[in-house]
Amino acid sequence: MSDNTLSRRELLRMGGLTVVGATFLAACGKQANVPESANIASVGEVPPTTGLPAVEVTDEVLMRTAASLEYNAIETYELVLSSGLLKGDYAKLSDAVKRFRDDHTRHADAVNGLAVQLGGKAVTCGNARIRSLYIDPAVKLITETGNPDAGIDVIALAHGLENLATQTYQGVVGLLSTSQLRAAAMRIGADEARHAVVLAQVLNPGYGAVGPTTNETTGKPNVASVPMAFGALSSVQVTIGAPNAEGAKTTLAMETPSLNSLVYDYVSC
Amino acid sequence: MPTAPLRSAPSERPNAADSELLAFAQGAELAVHDLYVKAIDSGRFTGDELTVLEQFAAHHLAYAQSINGLIGKDATNQRNEGVYSAYASQMTTGSAAYRTLQTLENTLVATHTDILSNLDNHDAATLVASIITVEARHAAVFGVLPSMNLASALDNTASSIAPASSATVETTVAP
Repeated sequence: MSDNTLSRRELLRMGGLTVVGATFLAACGKQANVPESANIASVGEVPPTTGLPAVEVTDEVLMRTAASLEYNAIETYELVLSSGLLKGDYAKLSDAVKRFRDDHTRHADAVNGLAVQLGGKAVTCGNARIRSLYIDPAVKLITETGNPDAGIDVIALAHGLENLATQTYQGVVGLLSTSQLRAAAMRIGADEARHAVVLAQVLNPGYGAVGPTTNETTGKPNVASVPMAFGALSSVQVTIGAPNAEGAKTTLAMETPSLNSLVYDYVSC
Repeated sequence: MPTAPLRSAPSERPNAADSELLAFAQGAELAVHDLYVKAIDSGRFTGDELTVLEQFAAHHLAYAQSINGLIGKDATNQRNEGVYSAYASQMTTGSAAYRTLQTLENTLVATHTDILSNLDNHDAATLVASIITVEARHAAVFGVLPSMNLASALDNTASSIAPASSATVETTVAP
């Protein structure tokens, strides 16, 4: 007998293993008299799932995402104006806040116009994921009882959002497929950068606060109008909320929209 | 699963039309750098005010050097004399220098955005975008200091001085 053929003994042994294996697999399957539940996973029983639609990061999706961020900013500035958080010295900022809100409305119209030109639908609501991850927790921290700095904190949040918007537009330049769209993005990105400077000077005024400096007490970077020579694409830190027992406030790190916060074609308001 | 967008394959080096535009941008950056140096050397500014001007001057030099890194032998590494001479005589006082420098920053933002609308090279586009955001910040600083003027900080009425891209010019094909 050659090495490639099976002996009678080996054939019987394999048959036995097959029977044992089949019995084991059968035991892992549905069980008699046990009610099925979609909530309880059992061995061999995969709960039903709903798959996400196949999506592609297109120019249209990037424009729709930009529009959603503009609406996040519009909603935040509306909240600032309606909440009465701009009190005392900060009350004089209401004209600037209205200007910023109007600029963002204009930007939203512009990027929505581009999205529609590209065959997509306009977005007229804030980015839900950015709102739930960053804005809602920030607003909760700012408005919580015992926060003596709500007025300045809301400016800090706005400053963070303007930096986030600036970075988003700068970042999409590397993703957009045409030079015309890249230029359109940066026309808006430059406006957001200007907003950030105005707010930075409210938070940390004067010539000494234009460039990067460090807080000697905390060792953290101070708010700077022009923090770097080149536009950064790093996380945006926002320090807000009531101080804890040690006097430290909460720091939130905000990131530009990633793949799971883009406004794909199937996402609607 | 989301997939990355399709875009034209980035070239390793900017093509001839891109290099021409980037060389222009570099000349403009060097001219603005030299105008900052003129303001710094005037003796009109001291302390933190002087430090800000020195920082901005250093930024413009860094932009020129970065562009040089992209286009290599196509870089002239020479300031744009037309830009320099058009503005040098306007910086007669401290406030005039501020107005001039703000105009220059706004002009660079408009010019680089115009150039971006014609750039094919991916690396060049991302570099120019990272310059635009900071030059917009420079311009805004001159609007908020020494005193807040919201419109001055936010509005950019300057026009691009970029040459028309050769990419948009029709070429005559020899018979």
